[in-house]
Amino acid sequence: MTEVSLRSLVKRYGKTEALKGISLHVRHGEFVSLLGPSGCGKSTTLKCIAGFEEVSGGQILFDERDISRKLPEDRDIGMVFQSYALFPHMTVAQNLAFGLEMRRVPKVEIAERIARAMDMVQLSAHAERYPKALSGGQQQRVALARALVIEPAILLLDEPLANLDAKLRDEMRGFIRDLQKRVGITTLYVTHDQGEAMTMSDRVVVMFDGQIAQAASPEEIYDHPTSERVARFVGNANILDLAVSPRGDGQLDLVLPGGHLLRVERPACGAGGGMRVMARPEQIALTEPAAGQIGGRVAKRYFSGRHVEYHVETDVGPVVVVAPTTHAVREGEAVGLRFDPQRLWPVPSAEAPAEGRE
Amino acid sequence: MRIDALLLSLFRSLVYAFLLAPIVIVVLASLNAGNFLTFPPQGLSLRWFWTFLDNDVFIDAIVYSATLAAGATAVSLVVGTMAALYFVRHARQKAELVRLGVLLPLILPEILTAIALLFFFYEIGIGTEHQIALFTGHVLMTLPFVFLNVSTSLQGRDNAMELAARTLGASRYTAFRRITLPLIAPGVAAGGVFAFIISFDTFGISFILKGAGSAPLPIQLYDYLRFNFTPEAAAVSTVSIILTLVLVTLADLLFARNPDA
Ligand SMILES: Nc1ncnc2c1ncn2[C@@H]1O[C@H](COP(=O)(O)OP(=O)(O)OP(=O)(O)O)[C@@H](O)[C@H]1O
Ligand SMILES: [Mg+2]
Repeated sequence: MTEVSLRSLVKRYGKTEALKGISLHVRHGEFVSLLGPSGCGKSTTLKCIAGFEEVSGGQILFDERDISRKLPEDRDIGMVFQSYALFPHMTVAQNLAFGLEMRRVPKVEIAERIARAMDMVQLSAHAERYPKALSGGQQQRVALARALVIEPAILLLDEPLANLDAKLRDEMRGFIRDLQKRVGITTLYVTHDQGEAMTMSDRVVVMFDGQIAQAASPEEIYDHPTSERVARFVGNANILDLAVSPRGDGQLDLVLPGGHLLRVERPACGAGGGMRVMARPEQIALTEPAAGQIGGRVAKRYFSGRHVEYHVETDVGPVVVVAPTTHAVREGEAVGLRFDPQRLWPVPSAEAPAEGRE
Repeated sequence: MRIDALLLSLFRSLVYAFLLAPIVIVVLASLNAGNFLTFPPQGLSLRWFWTFLDNDVFIDAIVYSATLAAGATAVSLVVGTMAALYFVRHARQKAELVRLGVLLPLILPEILTAIALLFFFYEIGIGTEHQIALFTGHVLMTLPFVFLNVSTSLQGRDNAMELAARTLGASRYTAFRRITLPLIAPGVAAGGVFAFIISFDTFGISFILKGAGSAPLPIQLYDYLRFNFTPEAAAVSTVSIILTLVLVTLADLLFARNPDA
């Protein structure tokens, strides 16, 4: 079991600064996702930890040992790549044996450990096959087994599910998550898919432009983002411009156009500057026009099977509401919206232009 | 059969005839029983092959050429593979420059490379002695073929496999030997075969850079043909054609069955 610490990690490629000081502590057996848009430095972080790239500044610690100058082969890591990177000229069993041979494990023990690893990823029947005779999902499981059979200190995965189709991806999410918990290995997982990050991780690290924007549990990230940008990147968010007036007791009063007053907790981080209010689409209730805190008109209605998405024009701008399919509101109808003050979350106004949703 | 299909197959036959006719004629001429290099042959016999096998000059030349080609190929394989690795994996903005540099002997007329090398080696006081200049010339001529073949088989392979091997505990060198090399082996082999044949065959470089003593086969043949016009020359050519065919077939058999060729 190993803890990983990144201390002010900086990585420059010529003039471009891919990582601008990343500090992160990953606990024993924790599953941490690095989440962010393309080019934000997720893979670079992983490459630095794996030792494929030399760091330009800062430290990487495994259990307080600085390993940032070590060669990849001396770091004791298991890595899974988006392309699987299985050795095509070796059978599945030979792929798994490779790392053990490098570690000079005795032949008998190699056989045992391969058998156990194959069993773990439910591929015992395919030991003698070549990788190209396996499906994408099976190849991915071989890649996992190959990384884990050497019993590394930490496991690194770089978008391992990106090449799989949607259904298989959902299955593999659960599979990887369960396996990780069973083995209890400290894991860093790179993805740009927020759903993946949320469902699998103990902690999600949201990155923008080579910096960590927020690192917290999936619930915390979703309900209490520290910036408008995080709010928009993780899930759908309505960001409302409301009159915000701070009270003395650590709470805020929000004044709605109709005169309604909502009292919400003020986040610790939201000191000074402009504030806006985040409301998640599924946390807003659609009501009769008279019963709502604000009124509006349904501009668009999208049925998805699981729920219905309404785009409502209101006095505070367009608001997206996700409601159960039992609601039957048609386009053009007048509706009321009710907010749950407990679920509204003030965020500092965007310092950077809003990120496109992914 | 439709008329255009007929035309196409006619055209195809013509191309093959054009390519193969000289070879067929050389082989037939070598079987000539007469005393002069003529076509059609005057009676068939293997006598010129026996004459050739008794002629130490040609045997020496073939052995010399084969040794030279083997040496040049060996050096080209190592340098060319390294250059290809650098070009594909690490060169980035310098890639075009690297490629141009390695391919220059292929792009420039052979005679220019030869003369440049001649000047250079006289300038540094070695001249054509000890066959250093000749050997260098052959390496330069064969390098592009190894480089092109190996970089083609490297391209499109991301280096994730090699990195995966590193995380599994392999050193840089072990990862290359156990993972990358087996995957690019067909390209390396093809490059080697090309290099050998080019070196065996090249004339201009050898003509200008050859020192005193033994000469490569093409030079020896040229010298011979200036004063003699017997089918023995055709017999020598036939033997080198057969050697080439054997080499190519062997390489094909060895690597065609490789699953990742
Ligand atoms: N070898 C390199 N040379 C120069 N710049 C690089 C190199 N590798 C990455 N970069 C730059 O560093 C930044 C971060 O890249 P990185 O690959 O870490 O992004 P990412 O978050 O993994 O994105 P993606 O989701 O597209 O994989 C990018 O701006 C990229 O252009
Ligand atoms: Mg990436």
